[in-house]
Amino acid sequence: MISLLALIGVYTLAARLLSRPDILPPTEEIGRAFGALLGRGVQLGGGGEGGEHAHHQHHSASQQMDTLLQEGVTLQGALAITTGRVLFGLGVGLPLGILLGLLMGASRRADDYLHPIYTVARSVPPLAFITYIMLWLGHSEAHRLIPIVYAVAVTMVIPTYHGARDVAGKYVEAARALGARGPLLLFQILLPAAGPAMLGGLRYALAIAWMTAVGAEMLMAENGMGNLLVGGGMWSSRFQTRSDPAVIIVGILALAAVGWAMDAGAKVLGARLTRWARR
Amino acid sequence: MMTWTKARRAVIALVALTAVYVLAAEIGHGRLPERLWLGAHYVDNVKLLPTWRQLTEEGAFLIESNILVDSVVVSTRRVTLGLLLGSVAGILLGLLTGAASRLEALADPWVAFFRFTPALALLPLFVVWFGYGESSKILLIAANVAVVTFLGAHQGVRGVSRVYLDAAASLGAEGWLRFRKVVLPAAFPSIFSSLRVAAGLAWVTIVVAELVNAQMPSLGYLLALSGAYPRTPTMMIALATIGALVLVFDLLALLLYAWGTRWMERAA
Repeated sequence: MISLLALIGVYTLAARLLSRPDILPPTEEIGRAFGALLGRGVQLGGGGEGGEHAHHQHHSASQQMDTLLQEGVTLQGALAITTGRVLFGLGVGLPLGILLGLLMGASRRADDYLHPIYTVARSVPPLAFITYIMLWLGHSEAHRLIPIVYAVAVTMVIPTYHGARDVAGKYVEAARALGARGPLLLFQILLPAAGPAMLGGLRYALAIAWMTAVGAEMLMAENGMGNLLVGGGMWSSRFQTRSDPAVIIVGILALAAVGWAMDAGAKVLGARLTRWARR
Repeated sequence: MMTWTKARRAVIALVALTAVYVLAAEIGHGRLPERLWLGAHYVDNVKLLPTWRQLTEEGAFLIESNILVDSVVVSTRRVTLGLLLGSVAGILLGLLTGAASRLEALADPWVAFFRFTPALALLPLFVVWFGYGESSKILLIAANVAVVTFLGAHQGVRGVSRVYLDAAASLGAEGWLRFRKVVLPAAFPSIFSSLRVAAGLAWVTIVVAELVNAQMPSLGYLLALSGAYPRTPTMMIALATIGALVLVFDLLALLLYAWGTRWMERAA
């Protein structure tokens, strides 16, 4: 806590020493941007005359902020949209990845055939084929959601696979010898045994899901956090307008906070679900 | 014997995958719509599933015109530089904060903050700070790589078994000697597995960084350009090239991992 305050202190000092609000906006300005983005209707006024060169002249109410406010974008609204996309990606991607991981982990034959295909598929970055999906499905929600689902699924396969093969293998064998099969084997033996590894993967998948969602929104979406970061408008006009670092920093802080909260949630969930392992 | 079956099945799977694609493309040829509505306007002559012949023709053109090779060189250079810069900084900091507990309190807030920041969210900020050019791309990769490798190194040092440290101490190894001969090798698995993750992340990052304000030549630009026309054979070849490069980097990271964990087999 103290060190967090120190971080803010160091930043404030650095911003003051540099006195270039177009690069490091002073802490107050970030606070004001935060208020404005929450929809308080606060006008950004004053400040920002620090730029020495003409082309560094910083508009106090920046272009990016203007665009966002004009479009009625709020921080909580953008965050809600992105969170929704992340949750969708997790909701569809996790079962897919877990299913594939279990299949590959449980059957050597399936592993031999599927692993090479998985390796090929995994190597293509999800955000790279976003345009290709758009050609097939048109401008819609699909080309933002599919990369997230894909990224989550691909991330989830490996921990599930190792959990099922390396950890649960022994237990499964023992249970089989005792006559367990079918759903009993799956729910009572395989899933709990592979659980800890899968939950480790889940935390990693969370991070990947957020990154993919933000990236997809930066490239092609007219809403969400990624869009807020690059300042509204559509893909072709992106980065033409001058970005406002205060808005970007507020966005990054908000993303970091939500990411932290979700990770903490996953950790609690993990501790609860894998209680058996510590007994 | 076992590996032989494994290899045979892998070949069968990959051949089957290719065959399915080629067949689907042949069946789709002339049947799939070629006129697409792209939100604002129609585009004609789109090949949703380029056939084998179209792909080989386009591939030959891209190679002969040096576009593909130049793009690969430029993008690989950026990724490599970013990886080197980021991993050196990240690993050094991680080792430092892992070994000196007083530094840990200092590093804590930065870790807490950057750990949950989606790597790509920094891109607009880096563009503001470092401009559109080469440095913002390389530094973005470096920053993302640094976070991952920092955590790997930090946790690696922290996770060194008490037994090793006590054994080293009782044999009289202290300070630098203990760090170099005991702590560092014990932290290698964690460090090198984080490096493998970082290599994959670096390629994800470069693709997006190059899609924004794309410049020739780069693989990201090739993708953006083929998406703008749209020209799917080029897109497919660019995707396949990126995939192949990711595989190569992953393999290199695996080799590094194997090298860094040699001592474990000797010990076992």
